[in-house]
Amino acid sequence: MLKYSVKRILGMIPLLFVISLIAFMFVHLIPGDPARLIAGTDATIEEIENIREKYGLDQPLYKQYMDYMGNLFQGDLGQSIVTGRPVLDMLVERFGPTLRLTLASMAWALLFGLLIGVISAVKRNKWPDHLSMFFAVSGVSIPSFWLGLMMIQLFSVQLGWFPTGGIGGIETYILPSFTLGAGVAAIIARFTRSSLMDVLKEDYIRTGRSKGLTEFKVINRHAVRNALIPVVTMSGLQFGFLLSGSIITETIFSWPGLGRLLINSITARDYPVIQSEILLFSLEFLLINLLVDLLYGFLNPKIRYEEGS
Amino acid sequence: MKLSRLLTVLSLTLVLVVAGCSNGGDTEEDTSSKNNDKTTPPSSEEGLTIAVESNFTSLDPHDTNDNQSYSAQSAIYEGLLGFDEDLNIVPVLAKDFSVNEDSTEFTFTLKEGITFHDGAPFNAEAVKANLDRLSDPESQLRRASLFELVEKTEVLSEYEVKVTLKEPFGAMPNNFAHPAAGMISPKALEQSNQDIARNPAGTGPFKFVEWKSGDHLTVEKNEEYREEGLPKVDKIEFKPVPESGSRVAMLQTGEADFAFPVAPNQVETLKEEEGVSIETKPSLVVKYFSMNTMKEPFTDPKVRKAMNYAIDKEAYIKVVYDGYATQTKSVIAPNTQHYEEQEVYEYDPEKAKELLAEAGYPDGFETTIWGGTSSLKQKMMSFYKQQLSQVGVTLNVVPMEGGTLGDKIWGVDNPEDAELELYNGGWSPSTADADWGMRPLFSSNSFPPDAYNTAYYKNEKVDELLQKGLSTADDKERGEYYAEAQKIIWDESPWVPLAVPDILYGKQDYVQGLTMLSSGVMDLKQAEIVSE
Repeated sequence: MLKYSVKRILGMIPLLFVISLIAFMFVHLIPGDPARLIAGTDATIEEIENIREKYGLDQPLYKQYMDYMGNLFQGDLGQSIVTGRPVLDMLVERFGPTLRLTLASMAWALLFGLLIGVISAVKRNKWPDHLSMFFAVSGVSIPSFWLGLMMIQLFSVQLGWFPTGGIGGIETYILPSFTLGAGVAAIIARFTRSSLMDVLKEDYIRTGRSKGLTEFKVINRHAVRNALIPVVTMSGLQFGFLLSGSIITETIFSWPGLGRLLINSITARDYPVIQSEILLFSLEFLLINLLVDLLYGFLNPKIRYEEGS
Repeated sequence: MKLSRLLTVLSLTLVLVVAGCSNGGDTEEDTSSKNNDKTTPPSSEEGLTIAVESNFTSLDPHDTNDNQSYSAQSAIYEGLLGFDEDLNIVPVLAKDFSVNEDSTEFTFTLKEGITFHDGAPFNAEAVKANLDRLSDPESQLRRASLFELVEKTEVLSEYEVKVTLKEPFGAMPNNFAHPAAGMISPKALEQSNQDIARNPAGTGPFKFVEWKSGDHLTVEKNEEYREEGLPKVDKIEFKPVPESGSRVAMLQTGEADFAFPVAPNQVETLKEEEGVSIETKPSLVVKYFSMNTMKEPFTDPKVRKAMNYAIDKEAYIKVVYDGYATQTKSVIAPNTQHYEEQEVYEYDPEKAKELLAEAGYPDGFETTIWGGTSSLKQKMMSFYKQQLSQVGVTLNVVPMEGGTLGDKIWGVDNPEDAELELYNGGWSPSTADADWGMRPLFSSNSFPPDAYNTAYYKNEKVDELLQKGLSTADDKERGEYYAEAQKIIWDESPWVPLAVPDILYGKQDYVQGLTMLSSGVMDLKQAEIVSE
């Protein structure tokens, strides 16, 4: 398994190289002149030229890419055009809050998603199923900006239980992680339900029941484990999405994470920051995919990663 | 794995993550624990929390160009001169100053006994170090243009300094009063020239404490501040809160003591809130749409005047700003220096039709307006479309994302190649002077890409007057030149000037002395918490 993991990780390097090239090209193809945007609304042409020169934006594109890659190999992601700070510092600073919000949201999402999914599969077409699926459909279809603002209205303004935003103690995590987790919980619930319903039709479940195991034991011990594989894949993907920072949730709750950094840098055409964020997100997805694949083996020992697999 | 065990693990994870966040988080102190009971104001020691719109970009005033960063900087830095609440120029670190007749030499006498936050003394050498940095093209600072005319700065004595310009520039005192001309400690400049942005040291009423990007920026009372009894609060914390609904909620819960800006459509919500008040102040911004005077049919002043008569500005203010704006009566805002009120083009669609007929367009024409994509800007442009349709003009509205719009307008080198017909714009002269309110917009040297004359307006007399206005520092004389220029531009109508929007901010009633200047920069020096 270790050998397999190392191989996979080494395989990521050329992939990241290609991604960096694509990211660089796309970012530079978006119309808009960063120097003009960053110089401000009443800048003089000299000030705009100054910025262009200072950040090498007056160089030909291939030269800019070579410089960028050269620095990248030395672990230097460049300097933000807006703040003048090293991009690496900015990413490190923003990664922590996003990671912690993601973990909290995923924990909510898995807890509620699995619970709701299992209940509705077991009580199929009875009222607990209908109720659960009502919540699941709502979770998917309610836009997060609406949910977030409503939660602020209810829990912060009316009841005064939680702060409206910002990062700090436990209480600051509740509303944003719930807002972010609600949609994911709904997706997980639907996946769990359909997957578990398939498993419950299997022969070995009937065997279990016929040998006199309680329904709880059948589901708890035999069915869920086998139903989890597609759920794990889906959760891994969702985890990756959340780890890229949610622009909307981070904006509503003034969360100092990667999503807000991304939207700000796109608006300002802060090329070095956008490129590095894309690279970081790609890396996150690749690593999570690897993790998901390894989890398969853990859930079902029949899936193993030997040499050559 | 069994389901029951899995769920237990997940619950534990949730508890651990959240508990871990609160302790292991990278905020040293729990910034959210401020009492949420808004009936009790915070103590002066707890200080004020100010919710602002976006992230700060820098704490280096010389290298900053956004008002929000200037607001935080105004707590830390002071300039030789500054603006009072009515945007008059007042001495701050200078005791007084004199100008020679052709406004090329400015001599400042400095206040004595002032030290920077890092202990360096404030004197003529310190001023020289700052002005040398600002006027050095090599330093590539964002506000270099304000001091590019400085030829040299000489130290005359410990508290006397003379600044010589390469050519006359009558608006120079405004540049010295601009927040970008804040005096930075020469010691800090020497030690961390590039890093002033995050390690600021000035002479202002507050000292820098910490800045967590995207989360908060904190300043604390400067105990050695030269003015007796100031500042009146021990601490100010700025929080960037991009979503306007969240800023309003923070005022409602008492998490914020002051919030800027407040969207006009949220004023009603806050008006019902006890203990919170909304204040307004006219800004320096002029909202307009320009007409490309080099392109048919806008080459004809009659057509441009017809456009002015066709738009009901009172209705515009109600529709777009919920009434929080005033009709503009010149091409600069009333708070701008040397403003001169003009006779307004009253809403008169019949007159507009007559003028169009006289100009040879009895059935109107079709044209296109470019502008931004924000809902406010789209609302403006839809409003023009509706109004112009009443006089037979068909308007195509083309909203574009900021960067794209910039490329389309400022990516054009020859005026003849410009596709631009109408442009939905707004302008705020950051120096509050008529020169910066007019020259970048109406001088024939200011066509894109050099500056912002999107009407491609060219009038030799106006060019001459704008130039004359710069060649003297005599206020009365300058006033005459700018008054005449405003009149000519108003009559020739390269723009449809619309409104000066209000600056809207919300605060708890116990917050006193904290105001916004018309320029959009906060004035924090007198801020205090008044408990009954």
